[in-house]
Amino acid sequence: MSVPMTQRLTEIANDGAFRAGRGLSGLIGEEILIRIPEVRLGTRLDVCAAVGGDDALVLGAYLGVSGDVSGHVMLLFPEARALECVDLMCGQPPGTTTEADDFAQSAIAELGNIVGSAFVNALADATNLSLHPSPPVVVRDLAMALVESVYAEVMAQDGPVVIIDTVFEDTRGETAGLLILAPDPPALARLEELAA
Amino acid sequence: MTALTTSQTRISVGIGQLATADDPGIILVAYGLGSCVGVTVWHPRTRWGALLHILLPDSNGAPFRTDEPARYADHAFEELLRRFGTRGEPRELVLKLAGGAMVLGRNHSQRFKIGERNAEAIYRQLDRFGLRPAATDLGGTAGRTLELHIGTGKSYVRTATAPAREF
Repeated sequence: MSVPMTQRLTEIANDGAFRAGRGLSGLIGEEILIRIPEVRLGTRLDVCAAVGGDDALVLGAYLGVSGDVSGHVMLLFPEARALECVDLMCGQPPGTTTEADDFAQSAIAELGNIVGSAFVNALADATNLSLHPSPPVVVRDLAMALVESVYAEVMAQDGPVVIIDTVFEDTRGETAGLLILAPDPPALARLEELAA
Repeated sequence: MTALTTSQTRISVGIGQLATADDPGIILVAYGLGSCVGVTVWHPRTRWGALLHILLPDSNGAPFRTDEPARYADHAFEELLRRFGTRGEPRELVLKLAGGAMVLGRNHSQRFKIGERNAEAIYRQLDRFGLRPAATDLGGTAGRTLELHIGTGKSYVRTATAPAREF
């Protein structure tokens, strides 16, 4: 993968993070900053390692992308980090939410919706493609099972995935998650063209 | 899982991989089967076993990949029987299937149906080689982890929320 491609993706991810932060802050009525320490292209093993290994339980949201090209977006957290995010969204001290109950899951769905859509829209604007994120689906499962199922779609053609380290920050602290953008190969080819 | 003694070694069988073993200290594991289907294979007479981690239903003429022998169901079973070789008759093999779930939510999974198509493709391969499964744990919405204990020939399946059970 070319350097301009990674640079281009980093620009897009930062634009997405800015939009997502604005959206979240608007919803919560409190400043939430989203930082993107790193954007990289990786394999399924990289994704699983980043969320705690093959057997790690993760909580997050999945959005399908349709339109000019198709793809997949997943926001994943090790479960404890997801619950911290719920606290952050609710203005509670970290550690207040202790289980992934209905309320926590609906907060994560909303988070996935805002963050996932912001990135998809940033990507759509950068590539001049029409892209539509689906409503979010809350996922709570073994990391590998989720990653593998997306790979069964994307990796059928051996494409890499874009792994975006994502840090959510407010005045009380921060928590980290992982945003995975898996464009189907035609979408990736289009990005390569634009980055060239 | 059963108690892990010091002499047991877990070997992770990743996506598209096929592992075989006859050392009783080995446990073959496929972690986090989502739409993939895992197949445990046990030959009681020679105490030989295998685990297949199948990603996709059909090669549709794509070449066999030595780095991912179980990428496609058809290639996976051809390779399994090649490695089983002259140990015995294929019909002596005890096969158990787990996986093929819809972990990305029913709506999305209905669109792709990869899990369901994987399971169907595996049944076609079983028919092709005159095999039949001794047990199955397929479909649903939860990812699974599948193990084959070479020391006992037993298979275990668990999910993120349910403990291991023999099947």
